[in-house]
Amino acid sequence: MASSEGPVAGSFRDPSGFLFWREGRLYRQVNEAYREHYDRLVSSGLAAELQADGLLVKHEECALGLAEAPGAYKVLRPELVPFVSYPYEWSFSQLKDAALLTMAVQKRALARGLSLKDASAYNVQFVHGRPLLIDTLSFEAYPEGRPWIAYRQFCQHFLAPLALMARRDVRLGRLSQLHLDGVPLDLAAELLPGRTRFAFSLLTHIHLHARSQKRYEDRPVAARQRPLSRFALRALIDSLEGAVRKLDWRPRGTEWADYYEQTNYSGEALDLKERMVADMLRELRPRSVWDVGANTGRFSRVASRAGIPTVALDIDPAAVEKNYRQCRRDDERFLLPLVGDITNPSPGIGWENGERLSLLQRGPADALLALALIHHLAIGNNLPLGKVAGSLARACRSLVIEFVPKADSQVRRLLATREDIFPGYHAQGFEAAFQEHFEVRRREPIAGTDRILYAMSARKN
Amino acid sequence: MKILRHALRMTGLVLAVSLLFPRRVYGYIDPGTGSYIFQIVIAAFVAVSFAVKVYWNKIKKFVAGLFSKKNGVQ
Repeated sequence: MASSEGPVAGSFRDPSGFLFWREGRLYRQVNEAYREHYDRLVSSGLAAELQADGLLVKHEECALGLAEAPGAYKVLRPELVPFVSYPYEWSFSQLKDAALLTMAVQKRALARGLSLKDASAYNVQFVHGRPLLIDTLSFEAYPEGRPWIAYRQFCQHFLAPLALMARRDVRLGRLSQLHLDGVPLDLAAELLPGRTRFAFSLLTHIHLHARSQKRYEDRPVAARQRPLSRFALRALIDSLEGAVRKLDWRPRGTEWADYYEQTNYSGEALDLKERMVADMLRELRPRSVWDVGANTGRFSRVASRAGIPTVALDIDPAAVEKNYRQCRRDDERFLLPLVGDITNPSPGIGWENGERLSLLQRGPADALLALALIHHLAIGNNLPLGKVAGSLARACRSLVIEFVPKADSQVRRLLATREDIFPGYHAQGFEAAFQEHFEVRRREPIAGTDRILYAMSARKN
Repeated sequence: MKILRHALRMTGLVLAVSLLFPRRVYGYIDPGTGSYIFQIVIAAFVAVSFAVKVYWNKIKKFVAGLFSKKNGVQ
């Protein structure tokens, strides 16, 4: 992750404290204003319990002299998240697991006299294959009788997008990118099928909840409300958790999810390609890998199984869902599947476009895998080879890329419905374009196919 | 004197009104107000089924405990 000195751009809303970088290290300043709650978090044993069970990011307390701004109570050094990802880049089950983590944390907090004051999906990150709460400052001492302040946020950040993905269309997960504080409930209610009104949990937490928001939008209400007993609060949490658990989505029959069954690769050629990629990675020795167009992650695993933190990016939510389910089942610690489109990468969003980083800002990757991708960029998306080479050179330090010629059946399929306006699309043209930005280290035809695999290093400009 | 009595009466009225009707805030723009009130209403509903669930689980545990003890003796 990009680590410029000073406060982290997305960390200024909460007066309790903030994150900052100093000399390449990430710190969290806890402000005096948060003293009571922080002490409670530690003295109640909640922090230790959550950290031991892998639900909350671990940290060590540092010298107060490291504080970045006046008013510091503590300075913490949290464990680093290898790659920061955002809810709109997660597959259905990733968002669901993040929601269930939030609920699990809230239940344990209540049992120890604390409560979450935020239920933001951005407070969850995937580390070693599992969701982890990364905001140590999202707890507060729970005064008996107080309703859950984060109820709305939980519904908007988790329940609404999950319901839309499961009950309307999985691609609606991307709505979270447009709405920084989660999907507005009136929008979710309008987009959800009418039959969701017959599911008690969605009727209450989304449809009626949205109506209530609308009703009190411009109406005066009593500042002091009836209290909410601890038991009723637990019931509310239980109901929300049940609502999340009931939602499910299984990928079937989308464009890419069955890709490996449809390629013109034979089983042996795939195995060979896997060995060639492994060899090239051994030579390049990257510390991080992005696999762009990863599908269900067959080649990403060549990197991740060698212990290299790997991001497997694919445009198809079904492929990413399958990939994540496999990660979860096999407890894979180095692979992070994400939904993303390299021709339209996640932009920077929020205040000054800086609260959530663009995909490219979170790079560069040490090595990038671009296997069976170039024809989709050059022919499917009309991107000139020179532009592709220049862009990839900014996104990575080294590159393993496969050239797929026009003779290949996959390219023939792309060209079947297009005019061939790509006279420069051949191995020589490809090499000429890439040599402007990369130094070619290895060039190996893949036996049994017309394709060529290259290992390259970006030229330092 | 009259003015004083009137002033006292008005003060009493204002006091009574302010005691009868609590302070009011407006939920302009902020959808949080509706959420806050809604959860209090809905929590009362779900608390009933939650209570049934909790006690049902306790009963099941108790019964299961009886049987496992019996098994233990045998």
